[in-house]
Amino acid sequence: MSIPVTIIMIEDDEGHARLIERNIRRSGVNNDIVPFTNGTEAVNYLFGKDGSGLDHRGQALLILLDLNLPDMTGIDILRRVKENKYLKCAPVVVLTTTDDSQEIKRCYELGCNVYITKPVNYESFANAIRQLGLFFSVIQVPPAAP
Amino acid sequence: VTADATRRRAIGQILLLAAGFLVLVAISASSVIFVSKAREDSALVVHTVEVENQINAVLLEIRRAESATRGYLLTLGPEFLSEHSAAVATIIPSVEKLAQSTADNPVQVENAKKMRMAVENRLDQFAREMNFVKQNQPSGAVALVREAAAENSSGTIREAALAMRAEEERLFAARTVAADLSQRIASTVTIAGSALVIALAAISIFLVRRSAGARDSAEARLRDNNLHLEATVDERTTDLREANNEIQRFAYIVSHDLRSPLVNIMGFTSELEELRADIFRRIAALGRAVGTAPVPVLAGDAEPQLEGEDRQLSQDFSEALAFIKSSIAKMDRLITAILNLTREGRREFEPVRIDTSELIEAIVTTVAHQASEADAQIRIEPLPEIVSDRLALEQIFSNLIDNALKYLKPGVPGDITVRGRTKLGFAIFEVADNGRGIAPKDHQRIFDLFRRAGTQDKPGQGIGLAHVRALVRRLGGTMSVHSELNSGSTFTITLPIEWAASNRNRDT
Repeated sequence: MSIPVTIIMIEDDEGHARLIERNIRRSGVNNDIVPFTNGTEAVNYLFGKDGSGLDHRGQALLILLDLNLPDMTGIDILRRVKENKYLKCAPVVVLTTTDDSQEIKRCYELGCNVYITKPVNYESFANAIRQLGLFFSVIQVPPAAP
Repeated sequence: VTADATRRRAIGQILLLAAGFLVLVAISASSVIFVSKAREDSALVVHTVEVENQINAVLLEIRRAESATRGYLLTLGPEFLSEHSAAVATIIPSVEKLAQSTADNPVQVENAKKMRMAVENRLDQFAREMNFVKQNQPSGAVALVREAAAENSSGTIREAALAMRAEEERLFAARTVAADLSQRIASTVTIAGSALVIALAAISIFLVRRSAGARDSAEARLRDNNLHLEATVDERTTDLREANNEIQRFAYIVSHDLRSPLVNIMGFTSELEELRADIFRRIAALGRAVGTAPVPVLAGDAEPQLEGEDRQLSQDFSEALAFIKSSIAKMDRLITAILNLTREGRREFEPVRIDTSELIEAIVTTVAHQASEADAQIRIEPLPEIVSDRLALEQIFSNLIDNALKYLKPGVPGDITVRGRTKLGFAIFEVADNGRGIAPKDHQRIFDLFRRAGTQDKPGQGIGLAHVRALVRRLGGTMSVHSELNSGSTFTITLPIEWAASNRNRDT
């Protein structure tokens, strides 16, 4: 990877965030992880003050997104990311508790790259995150449009 | 309109009808009486006229005899003699007839007697005159004629006849008056009766119209009430549906949101478990470092050798973690169950024609392994075809058959029967087994969510029957159980044969 990939983790539950981070690390992924616990902060970071997303030009981002956020739904963030000309190439992994088929379909329609339902069973959860970490370690992420 | 008033009105109408009927009967009876009276009166009038005729006839015959006598006296023509004889021959019967027809009247009887005497006297004179003539002594005859004229025997007869006629005329007048009277009475009675009947009819019509009006207004009120009722029912149904949707949403959100913390609890419990292993390994290492014995290096994750209190601590730690984990697992199962139920409640049902026998055969095939393990046979009797939701039916029957296989009596070969019949637009299915049965006190409980009955020796959440009943209800049916402890159970499901997606799931 020529440009180190930054993982943006948008997850309102700090416990989940910690567990996710830990398991990603266990799978040997050492990339920077920038955590956000609510949608507003994440949006501010992603799109900058002017809302253009210009700040991330040339960066390689990977977004880990929870749908159930306290201040907005993850679907809105997904849509804005995929509509933004700088960010639309960034892979988005939706990682959430919802396993409603309508919701899953909608996410893929909006351009989500991977949809993962959080298993309640911790073994499966840890396993899923580790595999995701392995996936991260091999995935090629393009830099945001210059 | 109170029931009392209605009854009074009904009685009034019956009385009116009865009165009208009585009046009609009275009119008919009096008409018959008066008509026969009028007939009698006219007969009497006719009789009077006949009597008068008879009197005239007698007088005429006497005149005829008289004139024939005189003719014979003058001409001695034999034709006058025969004329005379003929007239004389009719006089006495005529007088007799007259007497007979007036025999009922004492005045006339007296008159008739007088007349008869006068007539006989006159006839005697005639006979004598004729004898004189026959003996060729006309002078004698003439003398007799004169004598007769002097005696005025004809006058006597006429007087008697006049008296009789006068009497008859009096009777005639009286009888005519009587006949007129009875006819007038008859017509008066008829008119009065008819008027009464018309009056009663008018009252009846009035009453009938009034009750018809009352009925119409009652009907209108009933219609209004029905409309109102329908509106109320619609309103309530909408309310209920909204409440139901709310509950579903609530259940969904709650179960969903409960999951997040559960993931943390479970995750960090697992993390704690790993920490525990590290901690006790270190404790073991430290304990050995204090002791003089050479430390055997433990490889990997092998359980560290602990002694005394440390060992006890480690076991307590493990026990606590095990309880936490099993509770989390249980809670997870419950939440998953609620989620599945709410998801099922939100699913749109799609009515299709289903060959129920085929559907149940397919279910039986999937449980064939369990059945042979439980030494059970499943028999399917002919089942009716219905229009319903296929997935829901599959879930209903597979739950029931699973339950039947699950709760067989230990040591007794299972015998499960699926029966079906139709009745009044509904298909009735029965799943009967010879298993352990359900005590009557638990018949309601088994349909409640998370509730189970009997010996708890089989894994399960207590969801199956609650789910089945919810499905049956959504399909517009009902469900019941018939069972005794130790003598098997029969679950009966009644479903509409032609189920159209009803308003029950229109907006869920």
